[in-house]
Amino acid sequence: MEKLAMNKPSMGKNSAQHKQAFDEPLWWGLFSAGGVCFAVFLPAVILFIAVLLPLGLLPAEVLSYERASALLFSVPGFLFVGAVVCLPLFHAAHRLRHGMFDISVGNDALNKKLMYGGAALVSIVALGLVVAGMLG
Amino acid sequence: MNTQQISTKQISVKRYLPDSSAESYWQQYELPVDDSTSLLDALNHIKEQLDSTLSYRWSCRMAICGSCGVMVNGIPKLGCKTFLRDYEGEIRIEPLSHFPVQRDLVVDMEIFLEHLAAVKPYLIDDNPVKPYDPQAPETYQQSPEQLARYKQFANCINCGLCYSACPQFGLNPEFLGPAALTLAHRYNLDSRDHGKKQRMAELNRHEGVWSCTFVGFCSKVCPKHVDPAAAVNQGKVEAAKHTLIALFKG
Repeated sequence: MEKLAMNKPSMGKNSAQHKQAFDEPLWWGLFSAGGVCFAVFLPAVILFIAVLLPLGLLPAEVLSYERASALLFSVPGFLFVGAVVCLPLFHAAHRLRHGMFDISVGNDALNKKLMYGGAALVSIVALGLVVAGMLG
Repeated sequence: MNTQQISTKQISVKRYLPDSSAESYWQQYELPVDDSTSLLDALNHIKEQLDSTLSYRWSCRMAICGSCGVMVNGIPKLGCKTFLRDYEGEIRIEPLSHFPVQRDLVVDMEIFLEHLAAVKPYLIDDNPVKPYDPQAPETYQQSPEQLARYKQFANCINCGLCYSACPQFGLNPEFLGPAALTLAHRYNLDSRDHGKKQRMAELNRHEGVWSCTFVGFCSKVCPKHVDPAAAVNQGKVEAAKHTLIALFKG
């Protein structure tokens, strides 16, 4: 009887319980949030900083050093960096990880650590710099 | 109307006859067609008139049984729902991708059936079933609104086209895959069912919903418009909720 039960393909309650992917909802949540930020905020940021400002269509002083640092080193600045740097980074990391799996590059366990680890590292540095600026 | 106008078309079939050769090869057939000739009609014509050694599965001829799935020019299709009038030039017929081929167009679907069974695709009720009483028969009650929640996902005919379309199933056959995850979602959404907890353990594995990268080709090829991609991604939301609840409960 026991042997029979073992031969059943992944039907045992324990077999599935033991393989629960507790981390995946986190990566997927960050990926989803990052996707929204990519779609909603980044085009506006690129339009403003990379198109309108260099073309001289906005007054130069809107992002003067004093104004820019005052904007960045504040709570809204912290949220801005989170929305246009950190979350999109996790979005990109998720896509890269799955893209590498799709073309069979490396192994998924290592790719996960490299991709999400890299995104986490850059996020911590970016947010850390904002916090340091707020305190300093 | 010129529906009866007969012309000839050439189709190429990928043959695999393990008794005589270990290698597969292409074979061309020329056959008469009109505007109403389906691919299944063409295969039947070949079998009956030209070459009785050709093997393929079929049964209902009306997109209900899900037996006649094949690759047509690289796209998974039901033979009975595919019409030769829609194809100009070469028509290449192959067995469904991502499944082991047994003979000609016949594939081994065992792993697909295992994945279906793994998600417990039936109503699970914690309450013991009472003996049937003809004087006061008890039925599962369900309102039209409750039916509408899952009805679309209940139209699956288990043809396996979505598994041939899914690149993730191609990379990892352990992935439960579009149809099984859709069926799990269909029962999770059913007001008469109480088995969601048991199914979530299967869904929330790496080989469950999390192997899906939302390519969406499964929904494109589905002959019954079930939209498995939507079901799988709604399943991701459910799996994420399930994990959060599990974390708080410890």
